[in-house]
Amino acid sequence: MRVILKTRPRKKPHVPIEAEGIIPQNFLRKNDLSVYEGNRERHLEDLFFVTVEGPAVSPDQVEVILTGDTGRIKRVGEYMNAGRIIIEGDIGMHCGNFMSAGEIIVRGNADAWLGREMRGGRILCEGNAGDYCGAGYRGEKRGMRGGTVEVMGNAGDFVAEYLSGGEVIVHGDCGDLPGVEMRGGTLVIGGNCSRPCGNMTGGTCMVLGDPGELLPSFRRNGSTEAEFGGKKFRMAVFRGDVANRGKGTLLVREDLKSSRP
Amino acid sequence: MRIEDVVCPFCGCLCDDLVVSVEGTKVLSVENGCTLATEKFTGDHRLAHPIRRTGGSWEKTTYDVAIRETAEILLDAERPLLYGWSGTFVEAQTIGVHLAELLGAVIDNTSTVCHGPSIMAIQEVGHPGCTLGQVKNRADVIVYWGANPIEAHPRHMSRYTTFADGFFVKSAFRDRKVIVVDIRETDSSEIADEFVKVTPGGDYAVLSALRMIVRGKGELVPEKVSGVTREQLFRVANICLSARFGAIFFGLGLTMSRGKYKNIRNAIELTEELNRHTKFTISPMRGHWNVYGSNEVFTWITGYPYAVDFSRGIAFYNPGETTSVDILRRKECDACLVVASDPGAHFPRACAGHLASIPTVQIDPHVNATTHLSRIQIPVAVTGIDAEGTAYRMDGVPIRTRQLFSTDYPDDVAVLGRIYSLVKEAKG
Repeated sequence: MRVILKTRPRKKPHVPIEAEGIIPQNFLRKNDLSVYEGNRERHLEDLFFVTVEGPAVSPDQVEVILTGDTGRIKRVGEYMNAGRIIIEGDIGMHCGNFMSAGEIIVRGNADAWLGREMRGGRILCEGNAGDYCGAGYRGEKRGMRGGTVEVMGNAGDFVAEYLSGGEVIVHGDCGDLPGVEMRGGTLVIGGNCSRPCGNMTGGTCMVLGDPGELLPSFRRNGSTEAEFGGKKFRMAVFRGDVANRGKGTLLVREDLKSSRP
Repeated sequence: MRIEDVVCPFCGCLCDDLVVSVEGTKVLSVENGCTLATEKFTGDHRLAHPIRRTGGSWEKTTYDVAIRETAEILLDAERPLLYGWSGTFVEAQTIGVHLAELLGAVIDNTSTVCHGPSIMAIQEVGHPGCTLGQVKNRADVIVYWGANPIEAHPRHMSRYTTFADGFFVKSAFRDRKVIVVDIRETDSSEIADEFVKVTPGGDYAVLSALRMIVRGKGELVPEKVSGVTREQLFRVANICLSARFGAIFFGLGLTMSRGKYKNIRNAIELTEELNRHTKFTISPMRGHWNVYGSNEVFTWITGYPYAVDFSRGIAFYNPGETTSVDILRRKECDACLVVASDPGAHFPRACAGHLASIPTVQIDPHVNATTHLSRIQIPVAVTGIDAEGTAYRMDGVPIRTRQLFSTDYPDDVAVLGRIYSLVKEAKG
């Protein structure tokens, strides 16, 4: 089954839409889905042209396609556990919150909290991702716990904060403090970043670009070889964050680990 | 008439020992207050009556019309924002939260541009704090980090720290050591025993290095960390470790610089580490006189201290998403009620631009930068001068402000209460 949701023109296009109901399993039965536009509850059809093609007997067979002005739609794919969502353009905050299986493909950019506290499945963002990609909600001690988030462009600050499992791969640059408080899982940064892995207690972070200033609280622990994008790199290995009795691993390129503060 | 024990409604110190002379509805003089307090009590930029914008000019209007139009604007909005609250008393803040719930609005206070990151850090790792009285009577080491109290909280040092003799600190100026950490020399750093000059944005690394030293891993600290030498880091750590009672006060230099709440978290974790060796506390230098009160009120009603979104009928909180600056920058809100604050002066230009493009109503005694962005302004009594109400000091101690004289202005509770009634009536 293919469900195509095309946004209708809105009088106030900047008012955010909260649409946690847009997950494949909800289209299996013809439920009357509602979404919120600001503080107004709306029927799905009030905000989208809905087209359904073909049958499905399980959520795995459902593919949801979002097109149009989708950059302000939040919480798409929340608690998703099967099927596929393809977003043809940008997507708003919290895409893929808590998802446990299935696949989300974002052709444009994703706003903050992409894959927040994700448990499983795969998210591919072909553009840039905002802050807190693969992180947790405020005060939550564990961020993403399983699955894969891959960002082909850049990502913002605090990427993979509290990462506890799974894999976050950012092919471009990250902002400040990627992998802060991370305690498990793997974070790979293909480009540059600053101050990676502050206060980390576990997990592995690999920075293939310039890590900028490294925090003083990491202890050098030899070197190793790593592969990314079909190339091999000589990596310096650091352990930390020592200030937090951390036992995480931070790998930075031997030829680019420029600046200890 | 001379009135004693007056509470100053300017900064988070809420000094309660002012002596104010008044004649009718005019303040003649202020004793014991700092220059900021004197200006607050004697300043005269009050708006005389409600005003509304028609075309390109302002026209005088009545309270009835202004309040009714405000209620209509808020009822019509799909994502109204109620911002400010830190310059009014808790009774008015309470009505504000209930109004937000009724409207399905976002309600936020000025923490969003000051100590919001401090609260986020406290939510992560707790708050080893204490009252200012404890600091005054016990602390022999004071650390001001990213704060300049001489200019921003002028009586903080004389009432509670550097110059205030306490029960266990008989000669404060001699017995207390003061450490100032900042990115530049300030009036406060000039009287410090130790001034630590950090390169801008380097606080997180310096805090991590101090944590390592206190934890006994000092051998890993490099020669220089964010502009601070290894020797000075060890010296500062030793001063802190040898304290009988230490108190860290931090300001916006820490909360609003690179790293934001992670800086505060690191500072709190340094404090916790020091508490394995001696007694140490950490407290924010709150700015607006009742911003702490707004955090208290928001929390006791909604569970969250600021940036509370009621659009789904229940409270949701997510700084970065539901904070005013972010909502305005993304042009999400379609109406705004500003109460006892001046976002026109403090917010980024893009946010001020959006405030000017939507129906913005301001409830404030004074003409300020936000007036120029608003469609309606409703003047009210000034709490602590011609209205009374409860406020919370920067250390969380509630203090009742006094009314020095009566005027014809209604207070915030009266105006907000009428708006609430109209909204309630319309909602049924």
